[in-house]
Amino acid sequence: MNETRESSWVVRLVSAIDWPLVLIVSTLASVGVFNLYSASMAAGKSYHIAQAIAYLFGLSVALVMGLINRRVYERWSYVVYGGVVALLFLVMVVGTELNGSKRWLNLGVFLLQPSELLKIAVIMITARYFKDRESKEGSYSLLELGRLFGLVGLGVAFVLKQPDLGTSLAILAIFMTMVLFEGVKATSLVAMAAAAMFATPFVWVFGMKEYQKDRVITFLNLEEDQYGQAWQVRQSIIAFGSGRMWGKGHLEGTQIQKGFVPEFENDFAASTWAEEHGFIGMLFLLSLYMGLILWSLRISMRAQDRYGVHVGVGMAAFFFWHVLVNIGMVTGSLPVVGLPLPLMSYGRSNLMTIMLGVGLLLNASATRAGKTADR
Amino acid sequence: MVELGQGKSSHDSVGRGEQGGDSERYKGRYAILVSIGFLFFLALLGRLWFLQVIRGDEFWRVSTENIIRDIEISPARGRIFDTSGVTLADNRPSFDVYVVPLIFNEYSDQGTLEKLRGFLNLTPGELVRIEKGLERKVADLVVRRDITRSQVAQIEAHQLDLPGVEVRVNAHRYYPFHSVGAHTVGFLGEIGQVEQEELEKFGYRSGDYIGRMGLERAYESALRGSPGVDRVVVDAAGNRQGEAQTEFLIGEYQHVAPVAGRDLTTTLDIELMLIIEEAMRDKAAGSVVALDPRDGSVLALYSKPGFNPNSWTGRLSTQEKRRNDSDPYKPMIDKSVNSYFPGSVYKVVGSLAALEEGLMQRDDEAYCPGFYRFGGRRFRCWKRAGHGHTDVVEALAGSCDVYYYKAAEQLGIDKLAEYSYRFGFGEVTGIGINSESAGRVPTKEWHRKNSPDGYQYGFALNTVIGQGDTLVSPLQMALAYAAIANGGDLYYPRLLKSVSTRDGDVLFDYAPRRRKRIDFDPKHLEAIRQGLHDAVNIDGGTAYSVRLEDVIVAGKTGTAQVHKIGNVRVANENKEFRFRDHAWFASYAPYENPELVVIVFLKHGGHGGSDAAPVAMEIYRKYFDRDLSSSLTQRVSELAAARERIRVNRDRAGDHQEDQDPDVEHERYLPPIPDHDMGADMGAVFSDDSDMSFAPAEKEAGDE
Repeated sequence: MNETRESSWVVRLVSAIDWPLVLIVSTLASVGVFNLYSASMAAGKSYHIAQAIAYLFGLSVALVMGLINRRVYERWSYVVYGGVVALLFLVMVVGTELNGSKRWLNLGVFLLQPSELLKIAVIMITARYFKDRESKEGSYSLLELGRLFGLVGLGVAFVLKQPDLGTSLAILAIFMTMVLFEGVKATSLVAMAAAAMFATPFVWVFGMKEYQKDRVITFLNLEEDQYGQAWQVRQSIIAFGSGRMWGKGHLEGTQIQKGFVPEFENDFAASTWAEEHGFIGMLFLLSLYMGLILWSLRISMRAQDRYGVHVGVGMAAFFFWHVLVNIGMVTGSLPVVGLPLPLMSYGRSNLMTIMLGVGLLLNASATRAGKTADR
Repeated sequence: MVELGQGKSSHDSVGRGEQGGDSERYKGRYAILVSIGFLFFLALLGRLWFLQVIRGDEFWRVSTENIIRDIEISPARGRIFDTSGVTLADNRPSFDVYVVPLIFNEYSDQGTLEKLRGFLNLTPGELVRIEKGLERKVADLVVRRDITRSQVAQIEAHQLDLPGVEVRVNAHRYYPFHSVGAHTVGFLGEIGQVEQEELEKFGYRSGDYIGRMGLERAYESALRGSPGVDRVVVDAAGNRQGEAQTEFLIGEYQHVAPVAGRDLTTTLDIELMLIIEEAMRDKAAGSVVALDPRDGSVLALYSKPGFNPNSWTGRLSTQEKRRNDSDPYKPMIDKSVNSYFPGSVYKVVGSLAALEEGLMQRDDEAYCPGFYRFGGRRFRCWKRAGHGHTDVVEALAGSCDVYYYKAAEQLGIDKLAEYSYRFGFGEVTGIGINSESAGRVPTKEWHRKNSPDGYQYGFALNTVIGQGDTLVSPLQMALAYAAIANGGDLYYPRLLKSVSTRDGDVLFDYAPRRRKRIDFDPKHLEAIRQGLHDAVNIDGGTAYSVRLEDVIVAGKTGTAQVHKIGNVRVANENKEFRFRDHAWFASYAPYENPELVVIVFLKHGGHGGSDAAPVAMEIYRKYFDRDLSSSLTQRVSELAAARERIRVNRDRAGDHQEDQDPDVEHERYLPPIPDHDMGADMGAVFSDDSDMSFAPAEKEAGDE
């Protein structure tokens, strides 16, 4: 009897986990670590080890998160958000400044980037906001979303202040995807679009730092300045192109190994992969991302409550925007805004953020299979 | 859509036993999300297909070019040797600082150039040059050549703060004998921008060195050699990757070895040049030319003041440059090929003209009362008491002006010019180095064009004694005296013996070349030779007091006025330097079997007999004294030891070497300040020596 009960407890736990999701994420993370090995060789560092350890830690956190009562997240969403905003405030006061922007909190062991956590926190409060109003019928008007916009705007304002345009835009993109998914009245949509159009010149003049403007300008005339901003992108494009169909082979990408592509371990990790594994490698990588996005949507679709629905959509949007902007940026199709490629780029704050998101996804997924565990 | 979703959701939630996720409410929206997702997914794949498949080969080539760099390997410049193989110009390693603009522009910040400036003490001019260079897309840019070892250490230690800054070892020109022979051997200078653009097709790159004077300039194309190429793999920071990496990435390791420049073996005799340097120690300015009269080989070309080619090659301190530019003795002019008033050494021309034209016979005498009356004017002989009855030999020995006035009156200026041309005056000798002056042989035609009052008959009288408008270079004089010494063969000066490869294979041999045979009656030539002999060896000769015991020297003194004599005669020493007389001594030895022609020219140096002749005598004495085999070997080994000492001191001095060395060098070769105490010798000057001749337009009628 005891044995049966124990085994059934284990079985329940095991069956509560969304293993396909874990498989896709782990495959991507493995590709990422494998790719970082190449970057480590080029830089003479050991990014891959640090990343692998962080991943394993993140995965166990995600698995535990998946098994906790989902209502915990729902309940604590606003508190978590408040905590993250408080951290952002701390960054503003005692943050560590690197390359002209103040984004990090020095925790001794590593530098924490709270703006990464904000991505998840925004998903959490948005999901909670819509969950709280699940009885509402029809689309939202701008007025009805006012409080949510205010909350998210506060967080994003801190991030913009750092300044970190890429992260701010990513958060807004994820947030808007979730809002539009829930439904916004047509008139409100028009009003928002108009507001955005009017705001653009003001943001350009007052909101953006010189280097941010440079990036956009650079992007617009890429071929003209060989040695400035565009030099990095140009080298990245060469890395992509020179990979051709099958790639140059593991550790044989000269653009990476000889240091022509900047930040090959971080924002430009895809260049490393593309140069060494070619179009086929990229097809494989993008398919994994597509699978991850689709699986997130599947979790959303099959979620038992609105919170799960919106977490699924939010995470799908998270992956989608990061992949789109990052690949667009390193292939010279979009301006360089500094957005990491999920599970491929080195960076522990970013990896932890993703794994927290995966934890939320596991949880939303587990609410079906492991519903008895909730009780 | 919303209503539809609502309706189904209640059904679903019942099925799940939970408040539902309302999948029906969102169903259509998932479809939209998935469609948008696929759309962008395809867009990204399209972009990747374009980059990686359609343009893949193109980018692959670019990525290959990115890591390949063809590094030019400079060839070793040919060396220059003296006649017995002593090195006059050599190469030594130097540490040169380069900037690679591609990397520098990418990784440097505001402080980088400032740091470099601090380490190397870059001047504002150099900084401007570097900044300009950084804008152009050149592979690399020379910042500074030949930095000291401590500067190398500093730069190496701060490598990380100086992205794109490299220290490379190149060969640097080195002249072991410093200023001795500097004008003849020459020096190198960095190529100018305009010059570089013109010479680009010959492979000259900005920052290259090019010959600036003497042999270095004249034989630039032979000395330079041709560069090699090293094809290497570099990383983004420009660091060379190992040979194995290179082979792995670009196939075979490509290397084209440079071809070293050709070595020049000259006819110069460094030992003789050192003897000359020593003999000229207390002279301010002038030139000495030493030839072998048997074949026209140039044994020594000496011009004073000299300069140190080691400081001119490379970075010349502005202080030193300014000192050189403002030096009234004009150190950068090669005085051996520049022309000056010859004075009485030119009288050999008048002597031969008179004899050959039959105006005077060997034994015909002229009477010299101390002056010559011509056209209502009195032309004075330098010897006021007069020489009495004088034949051609005595006229040469005692430098009697009156004898030549008489000859010139009959010859006329054009006949004199004709004989002058036969000796090679008025034409360049063709030595081929530095800017050689042709000198000037005045004729009636020339005077009509150039003299303010046109041609006057009296001009012939001034011309014959080497005054007037005649200009002759010491080298021309040497070749003319060589022709007298060897019996009438006028040679082209032979400065090069051979050109050979670095391994010693001789490519060209330069044989002596006779320019022409001057057909004089041997009897007449013999008379001239006798006169030159007597000038030194018979009591009453102008150089008798400085004759040598062991060596019979034949020669002619000369004192050329460069300034009109006023009413009051001023002793030479009391004149302003630029108004003082030039002192000449043209000679050969031994008298019977001439082996060496020595022309001493002292610019504003006083009197031929008392100032120039002793220098020549010291040269002959030491030249014929030396035991060739032993002393040369000894000398060379001493020099090697001295060179080693210099090198050790350089290393030891480190930083300070750069500041100190030029000063020391300069002091050593700075002309001595003219000594005003020489006045004590004045009496001797006037009684014993000096063929003081007269200024062209001097009218003496008032004396009568």
